[in-house]
Amino acid sequence: MPRRGDAPVSPSPRAQGRSGPGRLAAAWAVATFAALAALQGAPGIPRDEGALVARAEGGIVSLARGGTPPLGPALAGAAHAAGSRLGLSHLRSFRLGSALAGALLSALLALAARTIAGPAAGLLAPALFWLAPRTLHAGLVATPDLALAALSLAAVLAWRWASSAERPAWTAGLAGALLGAAILARADAWTLALALALHAAAIGVLARREGPGVPGAAAAPAKLGIAALFCAAAVLGAWPGALKAGLGPWLPPAGGALAPLFLLAAVPLPLLWAFAGGLGHALARLAGAVRSRARDPFASDDALLVLAALAALGGSALAHAPAGARPFLHGLPFLALLGARALLRAAALAWPARQGTLAAALALLVLYPGVRSAGLAFPDGTSAWNELAGGAPGAASRGLRRQDGGEAAGALLATVNARAAPGARIWWPGISPAAVALYARDGRLRPDLAEAAGPDDADLAVVALDGGSRDAEYRAWSALRTARPAAGVYVDEVPTALVYARPGAWR
Amino acid sequence: MGVLAREVEALRDTLRGWADTARRLWIGRPGAARTAAIVFAAGAAIAGLAALLVQVRLPGRLPAPRDWAALRVLVERDARPGDAVALSPAWAERARGILPSSVTVLAHGRWEGEDLLGVRRVWLVSLPRAPGFSWRAESDLLQRAARPGIPARLGAIEVTRLELAFPAIPLAFLPDRVAQAKDPAEGAVREVREVAGIPRPCLVVGGGGAPLTLPLSFEPVLVGRLVRGHLGAVGTAGLRAPVRVAVRVDGEEAGAAEVSGAGFVPFQIDTTRFASRVRHLSMVLTLPGGEGQLCLDAATLP
Repeated sequence: MPRRGDAPVSPSPRAQGRSGPGRLAAAWAVATFAALAALQGAPGIPRDEGALVARAEGGIVSLARGGTPPLGPALAGAAHAAGSRLGLSHLRSFRLGSALAGALLSALLALAARTIAGPAAGLLAPALFWLAPRTLHAGLVATPDLALAALSLAAVLAWRWASSAERPAWTAGLAGALLGAAILARADAWTLALALALHAAAIGVLARREGPGVPGAAAAPAKLGIAALFCAAAVLGAWPGALKAGLGPWLPPAGGALAPLFLLAAVPLPLLWAFAGGLGHALARLAGAVRSRARDPFASDDALLVLAALAALGGSALAHAPAGARPFLHGLPFLALLGARALLRAAALAWPARQGTLAAALALLVLYPGVRSAGLAFPDGTSAWNELAGGAPGAASRGLRRQDGGEAAGALLATVNARAAPGARIWWPGISPAAVALYARDGRLRPDLAEAAGPDDADLAVVALDGGSRDAEYRAWSALRTARPAAGVYVDEVPTALVYARPGAWR
Repeated sequence: MGVLAREVEALRDTLRGWADTARRLWIGRPGAARTAAIVFAAGAAIAGLAALLVQVRLPGRLPAPRDWAALRVLVERDARPGDAVALSPAWAERARGILPSSVTVLAHGRWEGEDLLGVRRVWLVSLPRAPGFSWRAESDLLQRAARPGIPARLGAIEVTRLELAFPAIPLAFLPDRVAQAKDPAEGAVREVREVAGIPRPCLVVGGGGAPLTLPLSFEPVLVGRLVRGHLGAVGTAGLRAPVRVAVRVDGEEAGAAEVSGAGFVPFQIDTTRFASRVRHLSMVLTLPGGEGQLCLDAATLP
């Protein structure tokens, strides 16, 4: 970042000239979309995705009136309509919206990173975000998480744009509208409003400290805030169901206070180190700016990125975020930005003569374990835990979740199709009924296999194990008179889905 | 003396040289920012290498298919009636699909307070090199063992046979007897349910929420000195209010217990005066209102 000797780390002026910011962003967007679209057929359907797909099929009016944010289902519905025309399967069509959101997020990340830390950061920051099992998995399923991440980053960048100079009010309005859209994706995004408010207060304080010499500076935050709030409220008007839903979607469920700690176990260790270093670097720069009491145009950026990252992390404790490791996903782009800048800055400072080589070596060492882990975990990205947790086995020993909600059963469908007796009735505890219906519609389940209402009516039980209660599985033992699974999905020896069969129902 | 003085002087010169070097290094040390950058870059490299090392070593710490196959062969060859396989850690449940179905497989995190009804000998199958492995299960079982065997290594699996010092061999396991009764008690179903995180074969009773007095009758069973059982709530942490469990033998009340608390709460009734005879046994549960489903097991013990 160009301040006080923080020269942007770039390969060479000639290379900078060759790759413009737009081209870099476009390249990231295209690569992200292509990779996500290609891989989207593999993962099973988690419970939240099943619910979202069911809502997406309910129509726009029911989306707006429902008690959960409507943007995710609306995006999935629109993607389904477009994908079906292209001849894609239902599942791939619904998931296409996530690929689009992922492409937008990559482009924004590349642009933002290039702006704050040079072209090399534009290359590195999206890689720091994507090359981990859980972030990659978020791009492969139709949940609102990635749309939220893209909209949060867009809102913060718009806010930065609006607050960086004397911009017209509509720029703040754009930031507010994007914030409103982020809340329409997932209600816990309201914590981002808190971050923007704190940032506005901070730049107000800085402006007052610099004295009356800066024209209009003290009034700017108030103007910004009012414009942003107005536009956020206008966008939120598209969700009248929020009023009926009460406080449920906005406040945390019981026991959510420890949710941010999942980050320590969910992100590969080297990425965690880079993120922590980025956060520490930004905080150190902020502390330096506060101590020096001099006008520092970059302190505002540091404060904004740190606040946005912390808002997302805090949101998992303060707001009604999904369970497991998904709540803070929209904070990771900010951490990736800070981490990329810190890595490049560290390489430049540690070995100025060989900064490019050192930066490349560090990037490789930080990214490769994540790539390897994502490759090994695919398509069960939500079963992956980092080295501190001891991977899936260590996480299972500590009682951490084995999956988000039944998606591991997707890997059993081929075996069930091959081995289930004709006309077998299957009970699916822990797996969303909408997911089962979608598997059947997509032809992933044999048409003669029927869904059983309970264990007593079933010939087979396909049980998803998420690390929580296993009462349904034990009921299947009783009903099917066996505790011996006929087939299973294991992630590093940890079972995530099992099939139990009545004698004669499994060939 | 002259030699000593020369040696001391040489030592002083050496120390002075070291001090000068240290001073020069200190004066030429990198600034705070560069030091932080070097530490951060070194940390990133170490974190990357450590993560790779952990990932690469993980498969070697877990059982390979041939390890499981060897375990199956061993258990098939040496298992006897009354044997059970205990898994440690509890998630190592691939064993369920691999071991012969004649052997009971138990996957509990802890064994303290568990009755292990009908088990004389435990095959402790552990993965000691697996991440997150804890010796607590081993410790619990070793405390109950009369003769711990010598651990055998099958790749990443360690197998130890433990003879229980005081095996609880029931004369009759009552949930199995109610299923065979001509007139099974209304509302009692023989199932396996999760109570306190463990699968419990039991009679599932209640669930209506209203106060209820529920008689349960069993087919004639051999009665011993004790009727020992457990009661726990399905799907909640514990019983909301005390439940009265009365045991009747040939229509005469042998005793009653008030059961309350969290988990799978034990109770026992002294039946010494009815012992050593086959008798008609029944139980009467008095359930307070507001309870969900309850899981009841009981056995007659010698």
